[in-house]
Amino acid sequence: MSAHHHNENDFLFKYIFSTDHKMISKQFLITGFTMGFIGLVMSTLFRLQLGWPGESFEIVELLMGSWQEGGVMAPDKYLALVTMHGTIMVFFLLTAGLSGTFSNLLIPLQIGARDMASGFLNMLSYWFFFVSSVIMLISLFVEGGAASAGWTIYPPLSALPEAIPGSGAGMTLWLVSMAIFIVSSLLGSLNYIVTILNLRTKGMSMTRLPLTIWAFLITAILGVLSFPVLLSAALLLVMDRSFGTSFYLSDIYIGGQVLDHTGGSPILFEHLFWFLGHPEVYIVLLPALGITSEIVSTMSRKPIFGYRAMIGSMMAIGFLSFIVWGHHMFLTGMNPFLGAVFTFTTLLIAIPSAVKVFNYITTLWKGNIVFSPAALFSVGLVSTFITGGVTGLILGNSALDINVHDTYFVIGHFHIVMGLSAIFGMFAGVYHWFPKMFGRMMNNKLGNLHFWTTIICAYGVFFPMHFLGLAGVPRRYYTNSEFPMFDNMVDINEFISMFAVLALFAQLVFMFNFIYSAFRGPRAPQNPWKGTTLEWTTPVEHFHGNWYGDIPEVHRWPYDYSKVDANGEYVTGEDYIPQTTPLGEGEKDGGH
Amino acid sequence: MENINYKEEIKKKTSKPLLWIAIMSIVMFFAGLTSAVVVSQGGGSFLDVPMPTAFTISTFVIIASSLSFHYGLISIKKGKFGIAKLCVLVTLILSFVFIASQWMGWTYLYENGIFAVGSASTSSSSFLYLLTALHIAHLVGGIVSLLVVFFKLNKNKYSTEKYLGVQVSITYWHFLGGLWVYLYLFFMYIIA
Repeated sequence: MSAHHHNENDFLFKYIFSTDHKMISKQFLITGFTMGFIGLVMSTLFRLQLGWPGESFEIVELLMGSWQEGGVMAPDKYLALVTMHGTIMVFFLLTAGLSGTFSNLLIPLQIGARDMASGFLNMLSYWFFFVSSVIMLISLFVEGGAASAGWTIYPPLSALPEAIPGSGAGMTLWLVSMAIFIVSSLLGSLNYIVTILNLRTKGMSMTRLPLTIWAFLITAILGVLSFPVLLSAALLLVMDRSFGTSFYLSDIYIGGQVLDHTGGSPILFEHLFWFLGHPEVYIVLLPALGITSEIVSTMSRKPIFGYRAMIGSMMAIGFLSFIVWGHHMFLTGMNPFLGAVFTFTTLLIAIPSAVKVFNYITTLWKGNIVFSPAALFSVGLVSTFITGGVTGLILGNSALDINVHDTYFVIGHFHIVMGLSAIFGMFAGVYHWFPKMFGRMMNNKLGNLHFWTTIICAYGVFFPMHFLGLAGVPRRYYTNSEFPMFDNMVDINEFISMFAVLALFAQLVFMFNFIYSAFRGPRAPQNPWKGTTLEWTTPVEHFHGNWYGDIPEVHRWPYDYSKVDANGEYVTGEDYIPQTTPLGEGEKDGGH
Repeated sequence: MENINYKEEIKKKTSKPLLWIAIMSIVMFFAGLTSAVVVSQGGGSFLDVPMPTAFTISTFVIIASSLSFHYGLISIKKGKFGIAKLCVLVTLILSFVFIASQWMGWTYLYENGIFAVGSASTSSSSFLYLLTALHIAHLVGGIVSLLVVFFKLNKNKYSTEKYLGVQVSITYWHFLGGLWVYLYLFFMYIIA
């Protein structure tokens, strides 16, 4: 029995304006990946410039036209690409693409609901995201080019339309796009929270929720609390740009002329921006960590180690993320005592993060690990989370951060801990739930090839950046070949860029696997990974409502893998017990 | 029929939580802006005129509107729909009085050289206009919900058991009242 009967089989309502969470999830995935691919190509292009500054790549001119006249990237276009790459990757791929895809797919399926609390708001959330994506891409083609003030869009470059070419129409469209994006994010988060708290099936207590759902819940809470603050920052910026206010501006000279702005401060923008900006790191990361928890347990055929500690650590990370924003601003003339406070709160995050890493490793320890591509990417996430986390200890400490602030050390750190961890989690999720999304299996060999080339390239790109940073090479510079003190860094930059190009080709393998498998992959069985959670009890074919007949009741936590009785035999004859299986006599529920 | 019941059940379970979480977002939006005022004042941006009396009048008006709406809800629960209609109408009228009073407040500020934008404005004066305008922008949403409640009351869509829409609307309206009281105190003790 489907709970929804109207004209949902029409093409328009089935594929375009669908209110079915599964279809919306696919819409987020495709749009997010498309944006991500564009962002990846952008990074490859500016890596060509950084690896071989001033060298002509005539073939690129075919693609980029006047942006790459004579095959050499123009400096202002370089800045635009750096800005757009950061914006697209952080917001469009890793925020909306990741959360939008997996929160939509898994929340109703794993908690036992027929759909989200509001299918209509959910649909709106996707379409706002789509429109904001289109506007962001259009901003590449306006006079003056796209926004060029960096993805953090600090004023005054972003506040004065006449500051640099990218401060004009491109910046305006950036703000319009992000305002719409924030609306999309808020609508989505509202729905996720209410659905999880109110629409769980019978027996699905909070301590029987899969860790994916806990991660999506905390992510959504971070979103509804932090994105409005970014909206307020953007609103003040729009006022300064268009209506002559002075929230962020004071004593500005352009071309020898004093501008009519007094009393404002660009530091105010930094406070507001980073109040979102740091929780944003966890908005990007937590879903990936939740996905990893699920996959690590399923693929090692062991219960997750420290279920409650995992929930507690995510809550702690979520809470702490709101009181650490000052570590992005150690160089703004902050009172050293305040700097010490932010250092302390920042370093505290290492504790729950370490708990998570410890629990992943102990879950994998002595597990009967199935090295599927999803498992590989999950283990890859654990690796990058550790590597990037360790350098976070350096950047979170004001005394150390000051030395490497705004250098490639920072680029290396956040790309590994946030970018790679999140995208590895996303890839893991796609490989794992592809059968649920498309009813077909992806090719494992191509998946393995994708993983190994990606992780080698990723470390090849971002690990050496730490050494560049320690040597003082600043981020965002068009070229470092003008500075004699960086002459001995040329080879490292070339090395990085070679891996960046290779990484692009590695993603083509994934794209081929994804598209081919969606249409021609082998048909998926109902429960290909022998998982315990509710999504594997739904039929392979999709219909709005998820379950024929009643929604199944839940009787146990989601991590009953390899559970044996007193004789050492599997309780059900299989090495997993679905959540729908009632507890046996005297059997204890694992989550309690 | 089953489909309609299912949708009704979902609506019943989720309408209020959806509103509460939306309210949390709005709170953070205004918290961001009022924090920005405090940070800005570190640069010495204060106003040197008293707050307009109109803002004080607005405060009493919006509190009165909350009371009248609340009495309307109590009337619906008791089945006194005539009184409920009257209360909602009074609330609607008071909401427009509130907006008029805010307008008078802005006029007073303008005439005393406190401008929203331009070279004679400061970040504090701009914040004052911006925060009050944003409150009104949110109030418009509340007025739309009041109108919906009013028309539904006239079409006898509510009963003594079924008044979820009124509860959602009144929660938002009380929140708007509380938000204004917060902003008023903030203006009185922080900006002025």
